[in-house]
Amino acid sequence: MTIQNRDKFLDHLAERLGQPRHQLADHPYQQLNDLPQQTLSDRSPAELLTLARKNSEALPVTFYEVAPVELPQLLTDYISSKGGGPVLLPTTERFTDYNLTDWQASIAATETVNYWQPDADRATNLKAAEIANISISFADFMLAESGTITVSTNAGQGRALHFLPTHYLSIVPRSRVVARSTQAVAWYEQERAAGRLDSSAIHFITGPSNSGDIEMQLVTGVHGPLDVTYVVVDD
Amino acid sequence: MKVSIYTTCMMDLMFPQVGKDMVEVLERLGCTVDVPENQICCGQPTFNSGYVEASWPVMHNQIDALSSIDCDYIVCPAGSCTAILKEYPDLLVDDPTDPTGQYMAQAKILSAKVYEFSQFIWRVLGIADCGAELNTIATYHRSCHMTRLLGERETPFWLLENVKNLEVRQLEGIQYCCGFGGTFSVKEHEISELMVTSKVENIEATGAEVLVSCDPGCLMNIGGRFNRLGKPIKIMHIAEVLNHNVDESRIRKVSEVPAPAAAPFP
Amino acid sequence: MGLKTSTLPFTERIADAAKDQFAHASIAKAQDTQYTKRENARAELGHWQDWRKLGQSIRQHVIQYLPDYLEEFSDNVEKRGGHVFFAQTTDEANDFILNVIKQQNGHHVVKSKSMVTAELDIDKKLQALPDVSILETDLAEFILQEDDWDEPSHIVFPAIHKNRDQVQTIFKKLGYDGDNDPEHMARFARKYLRQRFLEADIGITGCNFAIADSGLINLDTNEGNADLADSIPKTQIVVMGMERLVPSMKEAEIMDNLLARSAVGQKLTTYVTFEGQQSAGESDGPEDFYVVILDNNRSKALGTEFQEILQCIRCGACLNVCPVYRQIGGHGYGSLYPGPVGAVLSPILGGYEQFGELPFASSLCAACTETCPVLIPLHNLLIKHREVETDRLKMMHGFTDFQMRVVGKGTSSPFMFKMALRFKHFGLSPWTHQRPVTATNFFEYNGAMITNGPGMVGGWTDVRDLPSPPKHRDDFRVWFKHHKQQGGETK
Repeated sequence: MTIQNRDKFLDHLAERLGQPRHQLADHPYQQLNDLPQQTLSDRSPAELLTLARKNSEALPVTFYEVAPVELPQLLTDYISSKGGGPVLLPTTERFTDYNLTDWQASIAATETVNYWQPDADRATNLKAAEIANISISFADFMLAESGTITVSTNAGQGRALHFLPTHYLSIVPRSRVVARSTQAVAWYEQERAAGRLDSSAIHFITGPSNSGDIEMQLVTGVHGPLDVTYVVVDD
Repeated sequence: MKVSIYTTCMMDLMFPQVGKDMVEVLERLGCTVDVPENQICCGQPTFNSGYVEASWPVMHNQIDALSSIDCDYIVCPAGSCTAILKEYPDLLVDDPTDPTGQYMAQAKILSAKVYEFSQFIWRVLGIADCGAELNTIATYHRSCHMTRLLGERETPFWLLENVKNLEVRQLEGIQYCCGFGGTFSVKEHEISELMVTSKVENIEATGAEVLVSCDPGCLMNIGGRFNRLGKPIKIMHIAEVLNHNVDESRIRKVSEVPAPAAAPFP
Repeated sequence: MGLKTSTLPFTERIADAAKDQFAHASIAKAQDTQYTKRENARAELGHWQDWRKLGQSIRQHVIQYLPDYLEEFSDNVEKRGGHVFFAQTTDEANDFILNVIKQQNGHHVVKSKSMVTAELDIDKKLQALPDVSILETDLAEFILQEDDWDEPSHIVFPAIHKNRDQVQTIFKKLGYDGDNDPEHMARFARKYLRQRFLEADIGITGCNFAIADSGLINLDTNEGNADLADSIPKTQIVVMGMERLVPSMKEAEIMDNLLARSAVGQKLTTYVTFEGQQSAGESDGPEDFYVVILDNNRSKALGTEFQEILQCIRCGACLNVCPVYRQIGGHGYGSLYPGPVGAVLSPILGGYEQFGELPFASSLCAACTETCPVLIPLHNLLIKHREVETDRLKMMHGFTDFQMRVVGKGTSSPFMFKMALRFKHFGLSPWTHQRPVTATNFFEYNGAMITNGPGMVGGWTDVRDLPSPPKHRDDFRVWFKHHKQQGGETK
């Protein structure tokens, strides 16, 4: 039995509430106002990008905007600036979409590169993440309001890829810079409903791991990456 | 304009001067003032302590008394007592001793008419400068109920700004309660002591010679603590300030003075 | 210790809190810093009052239809391949969790911060198992664990009462040899905890919001420890209060925005995660996903005047604005849930016998009500508790109770009040001591201050002087009659 004690528990709640169960079909939640949708809806794509940069840099996040042709060099420079590999990369067709296949080959020639492998077991992928100095991910969205990137887990890009490595870089296409979390969530819900997305984990990541637990002094890098870089690529 | 004074039990019992100053200021500004005879107390001492059953008769008496005189407005020298009269219609929803709803009906009328003294002067009478003069440095204690329950954050500051020769210094930690809280100050005096001590420290740090507020309860608490510590301070209710060294030729309407600055954050 | 965090009587806890200078300074500093950050973050968002109403409407709707949402959520967890256990009591929840760990042959448990697991006191239960290690991974909770399981004192910043030197001393026991710089100490904790994470086979997390229509849970952390706890171990056990649901991700996202701005003045929490049972093809994340849904007397609030407290999203803003919390800190309350929300919630979860004092430990300043992002009328709920204790349960006795009833009579009878006005000066005069009046003007009717009053007045004069009441002939009413007779016009 995968659900235990449910009916007794829920009947008790219904009794306390003084109404029968199974009312929701007739009383679905109606959003009270459209503030989530309205907030920042008047901004142009260019304004959103400016805002995204400002909010990201305040976190602090290193923020780049590049043309597709500049991306390979930027990634190579980034890796060497962080002291080189091991580098952890996802297994994804997006390398092809961004014309990065040549870069993949060239970087593997100079650095230790591991991939999050769809066919590998938990221990293998976690080990690759554990030893990685750097990981690179492909994000689904960038949220201008908060300086956030969003990523969804799949067989080729696991959860720990975003959390275990010391330095973290995420790539997002310029057309996916949206106003705020509202737009990203709407997309994820739509994709899930359509059966196109079966991810067990969606992460909204806003800058480096941090904590204010000692005397409220903000320090970065408690559990997750010590520093974070976003790259917005023209598309 | 006919104005009834909502005296409050504290003013009646302890601080008659506040009432006198309030009457003099209001009459000077053209109001016809009266004092409903049988009024006593808004009911907060018992209601806020959980003696709710015992509070209905207190509120009923107050409603009867304040309804006994025909008036355009009801003006009160305490933000807290003003706020609860405004809340009467919400509270009386739970009153089992008003089956016909007569008190509820009267409470709605009263709650629409009642104003705290400073907000009445600025927002209803439209007076910005009462013609007062006070040559000193003051700081203002913002009472919690006036700010948060009545929602008045501005008028005392705006009126004080127009008092001649008065310098008002911003009070650090203005958002924190002074520790009065009615029976809280008595029942939980250990906690209240910590709170009022911290308030005294903040007031001292301003270098002010005078502490002004719109709530006699807070003033009695803070002043009483100053006195216990043997520290000097002059305690003034805002009515006393606005009735000090008045030159009627200086009286100005809101429309005749520059727009006031925003009230202090938060 | 679970819900109750102290065995000392209330007055002793207050006295201890008053003595703890560091904790006091630390809380005051935190409150002041958070004030600006929080208010700025809300102002920047704009339309804050309407956002609050939106948040309130979501939470109220969920609570009103809680059985249906719990049913939908548990169905969807099951569809994903997970398990759901409904626990009426903490014992039921603990037994289930211990059993899962045993069944899964778990040995290394990592936990991310969760108030509900603290309510369960599950750490102590796990410690008692011979072959199981347990580690709190939130930096603050880790500090508390390593300080011999010190009690948390804030729902967002559990170790707010500790300073950097104290943390340094604690970490030295673990081999730390650096200075007291928080960054250096955080790095030490990172390294120490990382090794434990990697060997963990069970992850226990809380749940900010459970998403009914997907069977996923929403976790918000700044450190990323919840994400490691839900990535690395093969088994994840989620423990949640039964009220922590939202209909869909859409509403979760709204609540996450309100939470981040209210809790620490962030636009979004650093890691906002929606996760659940591993999907096909994925290699990390929980292969075995369990959700424990706990009542523990929350249902006592349903259908009562206290139902609104279940709207709470644990942002801690009411603690951060509270002038009482500022003075007595979390330990003063003696409950896992301190501050205004705790003063309302603790008597419901733990009963009036244990927590009956807390609703009175408030000046009703309403700063909590004003800041609550989901519009819980906290100070009104405190009054409701007081009403239950006095009028309904008749828990008040003795001289104070008698005096309050006299006040009730006296303030409802014009005759008695007039008597009081006439005789008040004489009534209190035996206690009138001449002492220098330094708080001038306002109190100077008789040139004297009362320093030791009778009965309840004694509570007042323990702390501060009481102005001596004016003589009847000086009363406002007397003056006003005279003033009217003289024409009643002021010049």
